Parts: sequence; structure tokens; C-alpha cells
Amino acid sequence: MKAALVAARTVAGRLLLGVATVWALATLVFLSLRLLPGDPAALVLGDLATAEERAALRRSLHLDEPLLAQYGRFLWGIARLDLGASLRHPTRGAFALALEAFWPTASFSLVAVSMGAVFGTAAGGLSASRLLGGGRRLVHAMTLGVAAIPLLGLAPVATYALAVRARALPLPGDPDAGVAGALFAATLLALPLGAQVARATRAALRELGRAQFLTVAKAKGAGELRVLALHALPAVSGPILTVIGTQLGALLGGAIVLERLFERPGLGTVMIQAYAARDLPVLEAGIVASGALFVLTQALFATLHAAVDPRVRRA
Amino acid sequence: MRRWLGLLPIALLAAAAVAWAATTSGSPTRLVLERSWASPGPGLPLGAGEGGVDLAAAVAHGTVRALGLALVVSSLGFLIGAPLGALAGLRGGAVASAVARACDLVQAFPTFLLALAVLAAVRSPSRLHLVFVFSVAAWAPFARMALAEARVLRSSAFVDAARALGAGTARLALRHVLPNLLGPVAVQAGSSAAAVVLGEAALGFLGLGPRDGVSLGAILEQGVVGMLLAPHVLVVGALSVGLVSGALQLASESLQRDP
Repeated sequence: MKAALVAARTVAGRLLLGVATVWALATLVFLSLRLLPGDPAALVLGDLATAEERAALRRSLHLDEPLLAQYGRFLWGIARLDLGASLRHPTRGAFALALEAFWPTASFSLVAVSMGAVFGTAAGGLSASRLLGGGRRLVHAMTLGVAAIPLLGLAPVATYALAVRARALPLPGDPDAGVAGALFAATLLALPLGAQVARATRAALRELGRAQFLTVAKAKGAGELRVLALHALPAVSGPILTVIGTQLGALLGGAIVLERLFERPGLGTVMIQAYAARDLPVLEAGIVASGALFVLTQALFATLHAAVDPRVRRA
Repeated sequence: MRRWLGLLPIALLAAAAVAWAATTSGSPTRLVLERSWASPGPGLPLGAGEGGVDLAAAVAHGTVRALGLALVVSSLGFLIGAPLGALAGLRGGAVASAVARACDLVQAFPTFLLALAVLAAVRSPSRLHLVFVFSVAAWAPFARMALAEARVLRSSAFVDAARALGAGTARLALRHVLPNLLGPVAVQAGSSAAAVVLGEAALGFLGLGPRDGVSLGAILEQGVVGMLLAPHVLVVGALSVGLVSGALQLASESLQRDP
């Protein structure tokens, strides 16, 4: 009973922190679009627009109201998921456009993170156990090497080498390639993610060291693999979950770069198009929506961590 | 000794970039259309990119600017975060937990999304805007480390002795705690700087940086655009982003290793 109460408080605290982060992001976005020098209406319409056209746009975006009233309207709009219509597609709601693009981003991120989790746990486990003998050093060196290569540099080069030159694989963004292209992109993405998971797994396993329950398992005749997979890895699942959660959040929030990198559609593409056209309602909706996803994912994984690891709950 | 050896690659890279940027006659922004996508050759050691930009000059200037931005942002983060965390750790109680919560909030902050909003709001984005965007979150890891260190130091014998001799909180903080935690906290600067370099390159890759477009990310973007015409641009862009961020990560890891 008491444990359930503590767990409920942890979850509530996490959610509160998540809501506060989204609110802070929304406020900063609101302020930077209104307080930074430069008239948003002039940015949207360009230099050739007449004063009347600008005034009309300012009225329709409610930019002529006092700042506090605008802020209230903005927060209320977020709560109702309605920040007005897109400027580029006046028949579509800004939030509708953002949420529609959410699914491709989310499914792609989920696939990449799951692949990275499998690669990473395996590599981290192998580099911390005696299964491979001296080979574990090689595995560790490989994860360090992969972790040091930024995806920003790796992805275009790998695309060029494998898809353009060798033609062994389809282009990641090729709509005809379908699943194969998506899988190629997800594998590339999973490499650095997996390297991070491997480092966290190895660090946690080494900290676990020669814990008594592992010695007991060995004394009962369990092999190296059985000790690793059934006894040691479950005991360190907490920190691994946290790393995976952070990665998933970062991918959802960082979709802009990934989608440009792999030329795939999604939430990031919607935001970058809104940025280029200065479509302010869509930009606001996209930033708040992906910020909320980023934060909620992290909160969800922190809660999972608390669920599998009683030690965290007390903190 | 091995600790300092890890700093060598980034020092060499920075020195080479500064030297090349200062002495080369090539400009990172001048377009010479007839040598667009030219391969490396005499006068163009790394070849030319889109519109005939001298890639060697672009890489040198891009590296100098990325490292400059990283230096400014991580110094700001250190100057704000270290004293804040140290004071919070010394005071303890509600102040400490307020600072810890603020760190949680800021570290979970999607910096990239804020960058998009700020850069969309201004007519011509400048480096100052980038400094602002990255600094919003840069102080948090420093403050978190300083807080943890100060908590440990607070209960150490020499701080007890100083307190028994009648030193007040300000004197304790300035004379006894701050000097002892500066070293461990400053080590954080390496990973901060690496994150800023990658963030700046990502923004440049999307074309969101300053208008002049001098950024390692912008070279990478040219490389992706001209992949079929001139693969050397892609190689130059990817290698320069990889080398700079890799060298910074190496530096940060060798500093973090216990001496």
C-alpha cells in the first residue's frame, strides 16, 4: 500500500515536471516570436506587402492585442489543441497538420530505437562478460569507435557509398523502396544509438561486478551466457531503460535533422516547411507538439525505470 | 600525462584551422561559378563546392566559428552554472532542491526546437542568437555537478574547521568550496562543447544558421545536394564534422578519466 503511494507520487512528480517543461518551451517560443525585433507580419508577407495587408494579417493572428491577452489565448489554444489555421493551407488547422505528420516520425523512431536497444544490450553484455575471452576488448573498442562518429557525418556518406555507388540498398527516402528504405535508414540510426546503450550496459554491468547473487547462480552450475542473460542483465535493466527513453525522446524532438538527412516525411519536415514559409501557427504547433512528445517519452521511461527498480523510487 | 595527451588532437585541429583561416587568400563566401564542384587541385586543396566556394577556406572558417561558439557557450554555462550550483549545495534545503529541479527542467529541454523558434522570428539570424539559444540549457550540467561536489565538500573536515573559525557562508563558498570544485566541474566543458559543435552543424545543415552560411553543417548540406556530381564535397563535409566533434569528445573523455 505504502509502496503504491510512493510510486504514485513519483509518477505525479514526473508528470508535473513534464508539464512544466512543455509550458516553459511554449512560453519561450511565444516570447521569441513576438518580442524579438522584427514584425512577424512583415516576415510572413515579405517587403512588398502594403501596410493594410500587414495590418490585416496582424489582426487575424491577434498580434494587435495586448501581450498578456495574446499569451492567454496562446495557452488556451494549446490546451484545446487549436492554434488557428495554417497560413499556407488556410483550410487546415495548425495542430491537425502537425499531428498528421506524427505517425511516420513515431514509427520510424520506434523501429530505430528498438534495433539500437537490441544491438547495444548485446554488445554491452559481450564486452563486460567473459563469453568472448579477449574478444570483449574488440567489442568495446568497436562501440567506442561507433559512438565517436556523429550520425550527421555518417548517414550521408553511408547513403552515398551503399545506395548511390554500390546500389546494394535502396535510397532511404525512396517512396518506391518502401520498407527496405526505412529499414536501411533505421539501421544507420541504430548504430550510434546502440553504441550509447552498449556503453551504459557495460558501465552498469561492471558496477554490478561480482555481486553475490551472480556467484550463487554460477555455483548452481549456470553457464556464462545464462548468468549474463538471466541474472545480470535484468538487474541492470533500469539504467538501460533510461538511456533508451532519452534516445527515443531525442529522436522525436530531433526529427527535423533526421528527416532531412534521410529525406523522409514526418513532423520535422512539416516544421522545416513551416519555418521556410514563416507559417507561424504551424511552427508553434509543431514545436509544442514535438516538445511535449520529447518530454512525455522521458517521463514514461523514468516511470518504467521506477517500476522495474525499487531503489529509484526512494530518491 | 595521458590525461593531457587526449587534448592534443583538438588543439592541433584548432591551431590548423586558425592558421589556415588567417593566411589563406580564399574566401569561405566568394562564389566563382566557373569552378563549381571542382575537384581538388592546385590552388584548391580540398576542391570547390556549390557555386565554386573554396572548400578549404570554408572548412577552416567553419571550424573556427564552431569552436568559437562552443568556447563561448561552455564558458557562459560554466560561469553561470558553477557558482549557482556551489551556492545551492552549500545552502542545502529548499534552495538546493529548487536548483536541482530547475536543472531537471532545463536538461530535459529540447534546445533544437527553441533554436527553430528563435531563428524563425528574426530577419537575419546572427551568431549572437545561436549563443543565446545554446546558453539557455548550457548551464544546467555545470550547476548539477557543482551542486553534487559542494554537497560532498560541505561535510568535509577542512570546511568544518573554517566554519568553526567563524567563516560565514560567503567566505566559505568563495575561499574554501569554489576553488575545490572548479576543477571537477570544468571537465564538463568538453562534452558541452562537443554538443554545441554538433548542434551548430545540425542547424547549418538545415540552413538555419547565420545568413553567410559559413558552417561545417552547410558544407555537409552541399555535399548531400551534390552527391552525384562531386562526392569529394560530401567526404570533406562529413570528415570535418566528424573530426572536430570526435576530437572534442576524446578531449572530454580523457579529462573525465580519474587522474
